[in-house]
Amino acid sequence: MFAYVIRRVFIGVILLIVMSLVTFVLFFASPVDPGRYACGKNCSPAQIEQTNKALGYDKPVIEQWTDFLKGVVVGREYPDDPALRAAAPQLVVECPAPCLGYSVVNSVTVNEELKERFPLSLSLALAALLMWVTGGVLFGVIAAVRKGTIVDRGIVALSLIFYAFPAFFIGLFLLKFVAIKWEIVPVPVYTPIAEGGLGLWLQGLFLPGLTLALLYMAGYVRMTRAFVLESMSEDYVRTARAKGLKSRKVLTKHSMRAALTPLVTMIGLDFAGLMGGAIITETVFNYNGLGKLAVDATVTYDLPTIIGLVLLLGTFVIVANIIVDVLYAVIDPRVRVG
Amino acid sequence: MFKYRKRVFAVSAAVALAASLAACGGSSDSSDGDGTSGAPTSDEKGGTLNYLIFAPIEHLDPQRVYVGRDITNLSRTVYRTLVAFPISDDPEVANTPVPDLATDTGTNEDGGKTWSFTVKDGVKWEDGEPVTCEDFKYGASRAFATDVITGGPNYILSYLDIPTDDSGLPAYKGPYTGEGQELFDKAVTCDGNTITYHFNKPWPDFPLAIAGLHMMDPYREDKDNGDKSNFQIFSNGPYKLDGAWDKASGGTFVRNDNYDESTDSPDLRRALPDSIVFNIGQTTETIYDQMIQDSGDAQTSVTSQSVPPPYYNQIEGPVADRSVNIDSPYTYYLVPHFRTEAMSNPAVRQALAVSTNADAYVAAIGGDKAAGVAESIVNPAVVGYQENPAFAGSNAGDPEAAKQILEDAGVSMPVKITYTYPSSETNDKAAAALKDTWDQSGFEVTLDGLGDTYYDVIQKPTKESDVIWGGWGADWPSAITVTAPLFDSRPNLTKNSDGQDYGAYDSDEFNALVDEAQNASDLDAQTAALQQADVLLGEDVAYIPLTTTKFYMLYGSKVTNYTTTPASNGYPDLGAIGVES
Repeated sequence: MFAYVIRRVFIGVILLIVMSLVTFVLFFASPVDPGRYACGKNCSPAQIEQTNKALGYDKPVIEQWTDFLKGVVVGREYPDDPALRAAAPQLVVECPAPCLGYSVVNSVTVNEELKERFPLSLSLALAALLMWVTGGVLFGVIAAVRKGTIVDRGIVALSLIFYAFPAFFIGLFLLKFVAIKWEIVPVPVYTPIAEGGLGLWLQGLFLPGLTLALLYMAGYVRMTRAFVLESMSEDYVRTARAKGLKSRKVLTKHSMRAALTPLVTMIGLDFAGLMGGAIITETVFNYNGLGKLAVDATVTYDLPTIIGLVLLLGTFVIVANIIVDVLYAVIDPRVRVG
Repeated sequence: MFKYRKRVFAVSAAVALAASLAACGGSSDSSDGDGTSGAPTSDEKGGTLNYLIFAPIEHLDPQRVYVGRDITNLSRTVYRTLVAFPISDDPEVANTPVPDLATDTGTNEDGGKTWSFTVKDGVKWEDGEPVTCEDFKYGASRAFATDVITGGPNYILSYLDIPTDDSGLPAYKGPYTGEGQELFDKAVTCDGNTITYHFNKPWPDFPLAIAGLHMMDPYREDKDNGDKSNFQIFSNGPYKLDGAWDKASGGTFVRNDNYDESTDSPDLRRALPDSIVFNIGQTTETIYDQMIQDSGDAQTSVTSQSVPPPYYNQIEGPVADRSVNIDSPYTYYLVPHFRTEAMSNPAVRQALAVSTNADAYVAAIGGDKAAGVAESIVNPAVVGYQENPAFAGSNAGDPEAAKQILEDAGVSMPVKITYTYPSSETNDKAAAALKDTWDQSGFEVTLDGLGDTYYDVIQKPTKESDVIWGGWGADWPSAITVTAPLFDSRPNLTKNSDGQDYGAYDSDEFNALVDEAQNASDLDAQTAALQQADVLLGEDVAYIPLTTTKFYMLYGSKVTNYTTTPASNGYPDLGAIGVES
């Protein structure tokens, strides 16, 4: 098992390095001149050149990339120009390892940006996860148990409806009508636990979390239903029934345990993806998490932030994959890894 | 998005018509005939005003801020300048600088090449230290560090009397390296509280420039950490920043205990609210959902966003009483690309101008609440504005007249042309509206809508576009910041770039008029030369004006003294606005 995990981690690191290179190359393949972009209006070619130099964009792409990797390992100092750093120490920004770069658009290191935005995205992902897993599994099991009844059909139909609506529609509906027009709940504002306590934190996460949960829940209802039905026809379930176990015990002890295994894979991957930012939901609710940061960074050609986000999201997915694989063995005794 | 106001304006306007920037000026056409509103008037101090903004503010550093809305908001709250534009609905008054941190509006010698101002006594920074002449000198020096202080206005680099090096840049490299410091020390001098600027050419509208931009603001050397100070505010105005500024969500301004009202004027700042909360990031639609509903904080809110056209039908009854609809300082225009075979022919350009259906363009981008037809590339709020005679008459496009011009010139029809513009749902409709009339006028138009790379593409000398879209606003209310930067070929046209002269217009006669304007020792002479230059541009069809955009904004029911003035670039003027407690 240990060797397996080490091997997976090693492959993950290689993958991240390749991802960073691809992002660099894609950025510089675009016709946008980042120096012109940052320099401002009325800039002469000489000024644009100087801006490119100050930002380090005058170097070959590979050199910039290796500088970036070096920063990840040993840290970096900004501005990029060593002569300027020596002449004006007050300008120097220390970026300790693992340094993901410095955003000239936001005048801050990428690490600080990510650190600042991550708690919101994590909170939102947790709130959504709680809602969709609870709702998805509960309604999925109910539908399976009541297979063929009106309850089953109703749950399946509703889940299809929510599945069909895009996140921006659900989010806008909840924001515009439930919060603003009907004033059923306050217009959501994210308040960290440290600032407003648990109550305000949960209140702020309710509508955005529900937006994501409704979207994800629909899929989970249908899958839970299918997995539970499938497992209920397995031999070991039939055996359990034959032994005289109560239906509830058969369901919880035998059917669901097997049915949950594939769901855990999905939960892990979905949660990891959400931690990297729920772009649409964060944008609709003006929640400054990693998703909104990604949108802003893309619009402003903020290369360091884009790379930082790509690597962070990539790391989440890779780590989640490893954890999920390991969890398989814990949840389902039939599975053995390694 | 982009860091400077004209470019940002162009893109944001192109994408959403939800203007988030401004420049100087802006005549009025509101529900009650001027920039003022039907809001209650009150001198009552107190309460919290909310200012709702969609896109993050790029810079709060005075030497880097270049967005009209931000310039004016900072002027009224935290950054005082030597001279400033007063709160007034009358464009003439609002475009005339009055003393702010200086004792008067400055004296000039040497035909406008030397300007002196005396800094008032008793003006303090938020830590109680006095604002000194040296602070002004240091502030002016920062723009020369073009590797650190990026994105801001850089006029001073070409005006201040400092020689250039081999790269064409000033030999002074800013305060951080100190390279060439002695050159700067000669160009900007302090004598007691009097600061003197020595320019290499006359700058008759210098007071307008420093009232319109923060580039010459004072800056405390011990507070300067270069880029790290980008979102730091060290105030000398009636408010100061409470805590840190969060670029993504904004910040709160509270009263500055070291501000002395007696050194200021109510014509510039009334400072009525106790605090001003800048709330950044909500979409324009969400902002207007709340503003229309007028509940909670929306009652004490103003916004820099214009009502989105789909919401126009909701602005009626009591909601309409809380609205203003005014001309913005921005103009949309087209430029023919003079390098192409088609547009190098004056008759083809003439036919294009005659057949341009500006009325249809206005209708496509939202109708008369979103824009009005422009008669010049110069905005009506700019000093010396005049309608360009070349574009007088109908704005509906005249296919028959255009075909006649082409026929008389012996041009075979259809003339195949490509129209390049920044693509968006609205702009695609507007482009289709133009194409429709052009196609009836002897042209065969291919639409070329571009994405975020728009400006990178249209600045390339190798582009193949025949007609190019542009958007512009003056940096201060003088045409010297409009036609000169857009059509003077000398600073624009290089081997690798067309700069902002997208159509590659190259006229010695026009350039000579720009020289005449730049070397004029007084404003009247400068204005006359610029008016003549605009007429020439019209005769050459170097541009075709499309629209003057409009701002259509709501304010909350508990907002008092709501006004949008030319001095505030058409945005809510924080110098005047208060809230009911």
